[in-house]
Amino acid sequence: MERKCYAILTICLLSIAFFLLVNAPAVAEPLKISVLTDMSGPYAGITGANVEAAKMAIADFGGKVLGEPVEFVYRDHMCKPDVANQKAKELYEKEQVDVIFDCPNSAAGLAVANQAKIHKKLFINVGSGTTRLTGPDCNRYTFKWAYNDYMLATAVGLWAAENLGKKWYTITADYAWGHDLLHHFSEALKAKGGTLLGNEMVALGTSDFSPYIIKAMNAKPDVLVLLNAGKDAVNSTKQANEFGLKNKLKIIHALMFIEDIKASGDVFAGDYVTGAWYWKSDNPGSKEFVEKWKKQFNKPPNWMNAATYSAVTQYLKAVERAKTKDALPVVKALEGHEFRDLLANPGKIRAEDHMEVGNAYILKAKQPGEIKEDWDFFEVVGIIPPGKAYQDPKETGCKMEKTE
Amino acid sequence: MNLQFVLMQLFNGLILGSLYVLLALGLSIIFGMLGIINFAHGAFFMLGAYAAYTITAYVIPDFWLALVCVPVLMAIFGAFCEMVLFRRLYELPSLYIMLLTFGLMLVLQDAVRLLFGSMGVPFSTPKSLTGMVNLGFMYYPSYRLFLIVVTSLTACAVWLFLSKTKLGCIIRAGTDNPKMLEALGIDISKTMTLVVGLGAGLAGLAGVLAAPIQNVRPLMGMDLLVDCFVVVVIGGMGSLGGSVVGGLIVGQIIAIGVMVWPPMANTLIYFFMAAFLLVRPRGLFGREAFHE
Repeated sequence: MERKCYAILTICLLSIAFFLLVNAPAVAEPLKISVLTDMSGPYAGITGANVEAAKMAIADFGGKVLGEPVEFVYRDHMCKPDVANQKAKELYEKEQVDVIFDCPNSAAGLAVANQAKIHKKLFINVGSGTTRLTGPDCNRYTFKWAYNDYMLATAVGLWAAENLGKKWYTITADYAWGHDLLHHFSEALKAKGGTLLGNEMVALGTSDFSPYIIKAMNAKPDVLVLLNAGKDAVNSTKQANEFGLKNKLKIIHALMFIEDIKASGDVFAGDYVTGAWYWKSDNPGSKEFVEKWKKQFNKPPNWMNAATYSAVTQYLKAVERAKTKDALPVVKALEGHEFRDLLANPGKIRAEDHMEVGNAYILKAKQPGEIKEDWDFFEVVGIIPPGKAYQDPKETGCKMEKTE
Repeated sequence: MNLQFVLMQLFNGLILGSLYVLLALGLSIIFGMLGIINFAHGAFFMLGAYAAYTITAYVIPDFWLALVCVPVLMAIFGAFCEMVLFRRLYELPSLYIMLLTFGLMLVLQDAVRLLFGSMGVPFSTPKSLTGMVNLGFMYYPSYRLFLIVVTSLTACAVWLFLSKTKLGCIIRAGTDNPKMLEALGIDISKTMTLVVGLGAGLAGLAGVLAAPIQNVRPLMGMDLLVDCFVVVVIGGMGSLGGSVVGGLIVGQIIAIGVMVWPPMANTLIYFFMAAFLLVRPRGLFGREAFHE
């Protein structure tokens, strides 16, 4: 009798064990993170290192999340929207990544956001500036980190109208980005009661800006706003210097990085621009990050690199909070989350439009004589709080779908 | 639109035009002699600017030294390219050399990108030429005036060299008909080396001169090269006078376009070229032999 009992008990236990084994979830797939960025196109000098920033963020997080090692891949989209679209599809389908980071170039960013929506996987954009990502084209799986065109224009715009003068003249790169910036800059100027004396639309890649510079000079503004980037910014500012404009007015720019100053010497000295971060910042963890970066690359990181580091770190933390790598729970863990890190102190991921907002910094390029340390090219002259630097989420035009 | 603005703009057109002239002259003599379009010409221009940067930043911070040395260095480099690369392909259809120059352009651009980074390098106007000059009717940056003077002197020197010296005579003859020149017992391979060297030297000079007013970066030659093809086509393939006149015309078209209709300023030259070719298929001073 006793032996029969034991036998039955053993069979029961064995069958339970068997069922447990069979039904046990398959060994968890490790979390796979990817960076899709411009590594050989026009922005390569700024965004190429975002790959390294993501790697560093994963390593600093311990290389593991939910007890599993984190895998990492990256792709180069060469700043071409069609390539970005193709690579994003490949990353989500073939590589089975859980998230794509970065992606400069607004058209490329919008294409990848669409892929994220189709595949129901996360996309955390750092590099592209378009407000459409968190506006009319927003979706549940797409987040935007650290900056957008509205913030670039509004922060320095409000500050300049108050501190530099209310009579402006603009020179705008004649494509979607320039037009968008011009709109936001004029709104900021209007809000402060200033006047726009004139605007010049200039074809992309123009090498001779002198006629526009002369027109601007004759209008006698307090502030000249150059709504261009990269080589157009260097060419137009070089030629403004030639005509001695800086003795008469202040110049503000739409977008500029420490690498731009390194590459052009004293061309930009005395000019103003908005930044999402500066490497001399004393936010928590910022100094350590900069030290580590300098040791590895012999130069400090730009704010795009810091933003990528922050985005990857906050994503990993959200995975831990959600206790799963499944997209929707992670999205929920990110939405409305408030945090303090090297980039944003404090930072908030708005649930309404998925925009990560923090302080905007007004940076002034130092004169050559004021630069005591290599790469210390900017001085932070003002801080604009997120409430002023970013558009009210009610006005962005984003209708966030509620997928459950 | 006031008179001062128009005058200033015509001056700006002259500046742009004179850079085109320097580049187009080189393109044109190489085309005449070798029968090919040298795609690497924009890269020579870019190398000139980078060589000037290297000299002023690492050797002696003297713009004048760079202005003298760089064209010479670039001429040597061009001659070297001819002797080591181009020469091997003369027997093959000219398409092969064109492909070679295209490849050379890509190699040079990427080599510079590897060495100096894709962001470009700083280059300021020489101290003695900063500031503005009062011309009586307007103020104009002194560096730009200097640029006009140097390019016109160079264009004159090249013209004198080609029209008055024996060597120039050989080059002109070679531009006309290389086969006949060889039949007359002249060592044509040396002349070809010289021609490519001269072209590269002129491109290098243009590079140094453009460095203070433009962004020095690996792709700077690409933008100008396409415009220079337009110059050469308008001026007439292989014609030296055509390059000079064509360069000045294209410079002025862009400058006037900017005043009248800014968004179209860069496209206008292509319309002009198309219209011009309908009326005069061989360009201003082009010869029949090249087209028929």
